[in-house]
Amino acid sequence: MGGAVRTMRDNKKKKFTLAATYIFLTVIAVAMLIPIYYLLVTTFKTPEHAAVAPMALPSSLDFSGYIKAFEEMEYPRAFRNTFLITLISVTGIVLFSSMAGYVLNRKSDKKAGQLVFLLLLSGMMFPYQMSILGLYKLIRGLNLMNSLWSVILVDITINLPFAVFLMRSYMATVPMELDEAAKIDGAGVFRTFTTIIFPLMKPTIATVAILNTLNVWNDFMGPLYFLQSRKKDVILQEIYRNIGQFSTDWTGIFPMMVLGIMPLMIFYLFMQKYIISGVMAGSVKG
Amino acid sequence: MNRNQKIKNTVPYIAMTAPAVLLFLIFFVIPLFFTIRYSFYNWTNYSPDITFSGLSNYVKIPEDKMLKTSIKNSLLFATATVVIQSVITMPIAVVLNSKLRGRNIFRAIFFMPVVMSTLVVGYLWKYLLSSSDYGFVNQIITGLGFEKINFFGNGNVAMWTIILVEVWQWFGWAMVIYLGNLQNISGDLFEAASVDGANAWDRFWHIIVPGLAPAIKINVVTGMINGLKVFDIIVATTNGGPAHRTETILTSMYSKFSDGNFGYASAYGTVFLVVAMIVACILLGGFKKWEERLGQ
Repeated sequence: MGGAVRTMRDNKKKKFTLAATYIFLTVIAVAMLIPIYYLLVTTFKTPEHAAVAPMALPSSLDFSGYIKAFEEMEYPRAFRNTFLITLISVTGIVLFSSMAGYVLNRKSDKKAGQLVFLLLLSGMMFPYQMSILGLYKLIRGLNLMNSLWSVILVDITINLPFAVFLMRSYMATVPMELDEAAKIDGAGVFRTFTTIIFPLMKPTIATVAILNTLNVWNDFMGPLYFLQSRKKDVILQEIYRNIGQFSTDWTGIFPMMVLGIMPLMIFYLFMQKYIISGVMAGSVKG
Repeated sequence: MNRNQKIKNTVPYIAMTAPAVLLFLIFFVIPLFFTIRYSFYNWTNYSPDITFSGLSNYVKIPEDKMLKTSIKNSLLFATATVVIQSVITMPIAVVLNSKLRGRNIFRAIFFMPVVMSTLVVGYLWKYLLSSSDYGFVNQIITGLGFEKINFFGNGNVAMWTIILVEVWQWFGWAMVIYLGNLQNISGDLFEAASVDGANAWDRFWHIIVPGLAPAIKINVVTGMINGLKVFDIIVATTNGGPAHRTETILTSMYSKFSDGNFGYASAYGTVFLVVAMIVACILLGGFKKWEERLGQ
């Protein structure tokens, strides 16, 4: 009898804890979602309506704000620049870091291997932004100002250290015997890498590619310094330019912000599971 | 194996590391030395000549109020975001690591702001927290009968407002790092602790926190270093104002850069580099000690 009462009391306590947990999580979720909801609904409202009823649903789906924003941002061009920078940078990061990570793991018993790894690792501790003036001088000297290559090369370089770090840690789980078997079959180092090792690195490649897509796409400071001609600028610079100009025209601005985050939001909605598990996997390696 | 054979064998390895190493040397190491070098030069946008000027850039620094404020603000921003984030995130990660219905939805929602660009997040909150009649948060505050808060216009609260916006955007990131680590703590440990009759609080302090040491290290070290680099969110919300009260390392450097004072901006960069190095050394040293103590 007493036991039954106790289990009942325990059950009650458990239920209470569970309910409290859900309330707590829901409150935070709402705090996350309200600003995003606000951002979306305001794009369809007049400034007056947005001021009087910020949380109300829009009375009609008027896309004229989006069309105006699309034109003012020169969206197709800005999108193309951002997309090219991201695509080429991420490809470069994946290729260079996987090759280097492979070698630096296989040669981690050699002095040279350790030294090169330490050199690259130092890139994670020194923020490159502090030496951006030197970089500016270099980019000007190389005649890369207002060329997408300036941001591409810089974005590859600053993201390489962490990528090499992840790839090298992952290589520790790929058995050495595979290399030896390939060698007996007469494959060279490079062939072994491209045909056997690289395909096995898929999970880390996914992590590196996803993390860096976010990093490169959202890089604002690099383009701000090196892509000063409007023809070469990226989506974020268009937002910066336009919001700086008309910061009182609310309905003009909100569609721009949505257009700015939409590509990555769509990417996130489809890849959400992989993005989160990618970040998790990355952290475990650290 | 003869010498030629040996060289032949190492060539592919060198070739495969070369792109990474060369890019790193050219676009990371060289600019570092360039910045230090040009901090001793008179280099402006107004004259084609770049002349050696000794310490003249550095002589101005002790009287430069903006530099002091920006170092102070960057340190405050980095420390506050890391501390607040960790305090909020760790319990949430523990809860979302348990077998809870709907945990994936919560994870997805909490992580969502991470993919929004920081610049846009800054603009969005600037409008939400606006002190004009449009500001949603101030509408609630005045609706409750309190006085409006000038979140970004009041120099005493602006920096803290920015810190909270940053936490809003990035706590999902910190949460996922903790989650990744929690999956590595074996469930046996938790069970053993509950058999011992350890309560939730003891379990948190004596099992979860030490078990989370690797994730805490990542979150604190990267959080501090990223915090020192804060730029986008300031540009979007206050642009360093009011009266330079929210100026940070990178915004003040950018303003010297856009004024065309490249040499002086390089001196800023060099000073900041030293600050960042000191912070990194303190952090790494501190964590080494902590890990040694946990290892005992």
